[in-house]
Amino acid sequence: MSANGSEILQALLARVALGDQAALRALYQRTSAHLFGVILRISRRQDLAEELLQETYVSAWHNAAGYSASQGQPMTWLISIARNKALDQVRSAPARRETELPRDEEGLERDIADDGPDPLALLESAGDTLAIRQCLDAADARQRQSLALAYYHGLSHSEVAERMAAPLGTVKAWVRRRWARSRPGCGAVWNL
Amino acid sequence: MNYDRPPLLDHLAAQYALGTLAPRARRRFRRHLLRSLPARDALGAWERRLGGLAAAVPPVAPPERVWQGIARRLPGARQPEPARRAAPRSRWLAWASPLLGVAFGVVASIALVMQMPERFVGLDQLAQREQSLPQSYIGLLLDAEGRPTVLASATRHGRRLTFKVLRPLELPAGKVLQLWGLPKDKAGKALPPIPLGLVPAQGTGAVMLDDTAERLLANVAQLAVTLQDAPARPGDAPGEFLLKGHCVKLW
Repeated sequence: MSANGSEILQALLARVALGDQAALRALYQRTSAHLFGVILRISRRQDLAEELLQETYVSAWHNAAGYSASQGQPMTWLISIARNKALDQVRSAPARRETELPRDEEGLERDIADDGPDPLALLESAGDTLAIRQCLDAADARQRQSLALAYYHGLSHSEVAERMAAPLGTVKAWVRRRWARSRPGCGAVWNL
Repeated sequence: MNYDRPPLLDHLAAQYALGTLAPRARRRFRRHLLRSLPARDALGAWERRLGGLAAAVPPVAPPERVWQGIARRLPGARQPEPARRAAPRSRWLAWASPLLGVAFGVVASIALVMQMPERFVGLDQLAQREQSLPQSYIGLLLDAEGRPTVLASATRHGRRLTFKVLRPLELPAGKVLQLWGLPKDKAGKALPPIPLGLVPAQGTGAVMLDDTAERLLANVAQLAVTLQDAPARPGDAPGEFLLKGHCVKLW
């Protein structure tokens, strides 16, 4: 989101905080396709994703007064709401997701739910413009795959370990060795 | 566990923001967020750091019915027009929820009004007008003799917790009446009490919650009131309970 776009969203959020429903509609028109894409990748079900998107904007409506620019860009704030709702939903029904997320022989994600780019490709393209770039550069392929699966598909710690075709204990031991070597400030996110 | 040790806090905040915490750890950290400013700061930092990752996700236009659903849930929303009502909706809740809402509203109104008719005329009138009570958290606190003493309520997604004192309380000078939420985990194990605000000794009153009722009270099975020298802070342990009662979800 450009700086200009971000300012517009901030102004809309300020009006939403005052109870302006037209501002919420405008905010929705500008941001809902983006949030829907994010939610769909995690929830994997159209009907649930639609419910979660509704919940996200109703929550934004009630909490807009609590948003301040010091918390980050408005889009980051909205994405956090959307992802948390989607994550809470999939965590409450992990068994369902296990059956819907097959993996190939190499333990890598095969995204069957849509024809979009796979999570690793998303991570690589996002990394080009991010402060997290230095963390990506410090990581190896398996770490990147772990992060991509966790962020884009909402997999839990143990689900990531399973998807990486390694026992949880092995992944943890492997992660501990990596910890010391990763760049300052990157450790926490690689310690999957 | 001391959550606020910086390395642990940073680690938990990163895992929460990523979403990799196991369900129980996720719920624990979310509760900790309500009580801890350092935790909220750490999470904010990670959400900002990771937020840009979502920029790479291709947008998908949601169907128009999503907005219609949002609009219906905003204050002052009118009932959907017939044409919209006929629009296909996939979930059974779409047709069941209005029925359930009316059923709950009617049953709850009858029960409340039968118990204390003089107290609930307002709610009853509201229910008559709206056909159902708004989604709310409601707590009825009883004294040691089991008499209804304080009614606490908050709309599900609101931050305002209102009180109605049904039996005036004796409040010694220099003391306050502290309201606590008593949460439980899914296994029914008691979790540390959460201070929610101060209760008036008589009449009515309200406090602004730190977060929405939904986030603070979803796991709270009971409410309690203690007599204290000063308002409690997060992490404080409550003294002896003066009042106690169930906290229920009205939806």
